Amino acid sequence: MYPLTETYGLPFYMQYLAHWPEYFQVAESPRGEIMGYIMGKSEGHGEKWHGHVTALTVSPDFRRLGLAATLMNFLEDVSEKKKTYFVDLFVRVSNKVAINMYTNLGYIVYRTVLEYYSGDPDEDAFDMRKSMSRDEYKLSMIPLQHPM
Amino acid sequence: MQDSSIMERRLRPIYDCLESGNNKKALQEAEKALKKTPNILCFKALKALALLRMSRDEEADTLVGEIAAKNPSDDSTLQVMTFCYKEREEFSKICTLYSNAAKQNPGCEDILSHLFISYVRVNDFSSQQLVAMQLYKLKPKNPYYFWAVMSVVLKAVRGPDSKIPEKRKLLLTLAQRMIDKQISENKIDAEQEVQLYLSILKYQQKYAEALDFLEGDLGRKIYPGAPVELKIELLKSLDRWGECNVLLKDLLRENPDRWDYHKDYILSVTKLKQSSVAFDGADCTFEQCYEFLCQLIESGARVVRGPFLGRLELHHTMTDLNENASELLGDFLELLVEYFRKFGDKACCANDIILFLNFLEAERRAELASRLLEVCEISSTKLPQNKEQMQKHICSLQVSRICGAHALSTEHLAALYTAFSLHYEHGTTAFGSDLLPTDMGPSDSYALLAGELGLAPFDVQIKLEIIFNNGVNDFLAVHVMYDLSLKLQTSEHLIEALCLLHYLLSNSPSNFHAKLLCLQIYHLIGCGWGAHKTSESLEMKYVQLDSMGYLHVSQLPLIGIPSIAKPWYDSTLRFFTSSYKESLEYLAMCYKFGSFSKLEEFMDFRDKLSNSLHFLLISTEAVLLEFVCLCGLYAQNMAAIKAMKIVPSQDRIQWDQVTDNRDISVIVKWNAQTYPNADADMKRESFAQDVELVRIRSMLARIICGCVEAITHKETKNKDIETMKQLKHSWTDLWLRIRNANYKPTSNQYLVNLLPSRLHGIMAAPYEASIIHLIEMVLQIEERHSTAKLSCDALCDDFNLVRRLLCDTITEYNESSDLAWKRRNSQETIVNCIEVSAHSFYQLKIWNNR
Repeated sequence: MYPLTETYGLPFYMQYLAHWPEYFQVAESPRGEIMGYIMGKSEGHGEKWHGHVTALTVSPDFRRLGLAATLMNFLEDVSEKKKTYFVDLFVRVSNKVAINMYTNLGYIVYRTVLEYYSGDPDEDAFDMRKSMSRDEYKLSMIPLQHPM
Repeated sequence: MQDSSIMERRLRPIYDCLESGNNKKALQEAEKALKKTPNILCFKALKALALLRMSRDEEADTLVGEIAAKNPSDDSTLQVMTFCYKEREEFSKICTLYSNAAKQNPGCEDILSHLFISYVRVNDFSSQQLVAMQLYKLKPKNPYYFWAVMSVVLKAVRGPDSKIPEKRKLLLTLAQRMIDKQISENKIDAEQEVQLYLSILKYQQKYAEALDFLEGDLGRKIYPGAPVELKIELLKSLDRWGECNVLLKDLLRENPDRWDYHKDYILSVTKLKQSSVAFDGADCTFEQCYEFLCQLIESGARVVRGPFLGRLELHHTMTDLNENASELLGDFLELLVEYFRKFGDKACCANDIILFLNFLEAERRAELASRLLEVCEISSTKLPQNKEQMQKHICSLQVSRICGAHALSTEHLAALYTAFSLHYEHGTTAFGSDLLPTDMGPSDSYALLAGELGLAPFDVQIKLEIIFNNGVNDFLAVHVMYDLSLKLQTSEHLIEALCLLHYLLSNSPSNFHAKLLCLQIYHLIGCGWGAHKTSESLEMKYVQLDSMGYLHVSQLPLIGIPSIAKPWYDSTLRFFTSSYKESLEYLAMCYKFGSFSKLEEFMDFRDKLSNSLHFLLISTEAVLLEFVCLCGLYAQNMAAIKAMKIVPSQDRIQWDQVTDNRDISVIVKWNAQTYPNADADMKRESFAQDVELVRIRSMLARIICGCVEAITHKETKNKDIETMKQLKHSWTDLWLRIRNANYKPTSNQYLVNLLPSRLHGIMAAPYEASIIHLIEMVLQIEERHSTAKLSCDALCDDFNLVRRLLCDTITEYNESSDLAWKRRNSQETIVNCIEVSAHSFYQLKIWNNR
């Protein structure tokens, strides 16, 4: 119902749950309402082995509580334990609040992906990244110069 | 090599056509290929699939039967046949298909794994186990072994033996031994395998073993990502409260904002205090607990809600145990006020306070409400100076309403409504500039509260409803318009609320809370078009069609506009049917990825969707609506009825499994609480009534279909007549039982309550007798009874009764001084009358055509 929170079809969630069950986390309020959730996956070979944030959302009523950061920590934790090199995510270039938050959490804009989000008009995405401890020299965080 | 490429070349175009949905072309291509090579089974299977997709079921069935009789074993034929059976939902035939193929190719891993999955689809856990072991013997791969283990577990917890404790125990022991063997041979190596092992131990309540394994070298090595919650759960089950307490303290120092940790921590203190056993480093008294919470508050770099909520939890825990909490923590009300001072500017604060409201003496709630209002320093002459102060004010108003402070006189409520509207306006102008279209407005909550006030318990009259009225009946609408314009000067709070909500939405178009309230109001006043437009803007989809469908789609039958209802029914049913089919593939996926932990969740979810009352209601309403709308050619009508696949003699609904998937928390509400479980009780009551509604509706659909069959099927006439006699009995019994149950409509005290069940409207309309008369007439005419004339007369009387009822309802409505308020009920009566007549008329039409 909230325009910036994508509601996916069941197959999408189910496939993720079946494949990467460890990458799901829901945050519940003391009254049992769902405050937000994160879902992701791990993929790639060699030094491209990384965690990916597929969806992160916090209900409008539970914003400004640091919940998104907690959920991101969870996902980074899982990725650390899986010994990934970095975590990446895509975000609409217009979603200033989210970009700010990711930057505060240590993410950098690795590259711009042109017209990643379809719509009217299509919108570009930032591919943001943060190195995990395995990537000692933060090689995965050297930004690309040209958009894709 | 050449053969396979020729095959491929001929198969490709058929597959392409099927994929692009061009079934007719696919059929032609398949027939062309069959002319050249009539013995290739795969072409035949593809032809069958194309026929199925063209709804030529009988031809397809014959063909599928022919192919199955030849026991195909080549991969492509097997796959196409699987598609055919899936489309027909004949899942057990896939098992037979692959089982026969496996017999012909005993060493084929691929066929065996397909056979395994085919048993997964039909929940045949024993066969799953056998095939998995066959696979493991053939190819000793770990996943196959664990497929077998998982099958044994499912047998124990979900199979027929799960009800017999000894058998269940035996199976779980077997499952554990199977994994023990792998462990001893050093063959366990995946996280999910460890998880499965832990769950088997937990099923057997062997918590100590589970904890030892989790903490042991192997557990740590293979399952480094084990969530700490798992350990907490095990410690709790083992009553090892000391360790639990120490662990939770560590965790809370790291994450002081985790409510689940706080709850478990306080529980562990209570348990330790009760057992009077000391544990090194653990807090065993409430004093120590309080001290620890205070430390968390003092040492935290950032002020977070957790420890403050923890203090409130500690207070009520102590009070529940008759300990003097106030001496240690101070007055409960003061703690709540302090919480409000700290966090009142967060949107979730009111919800946090509500959590503890039940622990405050009822007579002190009003005091709390006025204290909170005092704290935010807003008065009739002072507006909020900043966003934070405004949010605090909003929070205090929300809590006040829940505390019952809005049980006011009409004048006071009107004044309050005006005040909220002004506050909203001020907030939007002062703090709502630079908002993105996707932002929630900072003062939106004022308007939402005002919206709730709109339905205060005084007379509500409407002026603008006609704008949204698309006219179920244009004739009626003209009268309504005239009547309404006459009444313009009267009270109009609900509509005013609606206007305010629309105004809010023009400022913050993404505020779904406002849309949901609008939707509720539109349905309350029977305004289908407005409700439809609002629902569209909510973009309800996928699983929301189930959890939120009750807000709109369930209400559509009484709106009486087929062009609105049909697309909603279609999208709802599409979601359910596709999810039902797809959900089997998710189970297969779990085995493929070894995600055993998700298997049971997926199975539960599948059951929950297929037993959803909303699904049952909408599928029944869709059928009944189709009957009402039948027109045109007789043959087409008969084909449409056949496609409904109703078996009049069979009630296919498993009534004891039906689930209530409505998410009633979706509309934000601040209703005064009468008692703690009031919402749950109302939900249960409304569910019980809706189940009865679906019983009536689904039986009605079977009766209508049964009548059609009795009239038109000459060859099965005796059987059909017998069925109708049975149905007549069942119908009478059902009504008798429901009338004796004496259901009352659920309360409409607040705007955000579940709308009353349609059961009452149906019971007030002449369904019961009319349908009996209809069945009697069908029976008597078909059996050539001399009394047929009497039942025809009875049906004529029914028509007259319905006509009178229609006229009276319309006249009464038009003469009513409170049009919008009456509209929902009048509309419901009109729709029901039309439906009941339409069913009888249709049967007459069939006789005429025959």
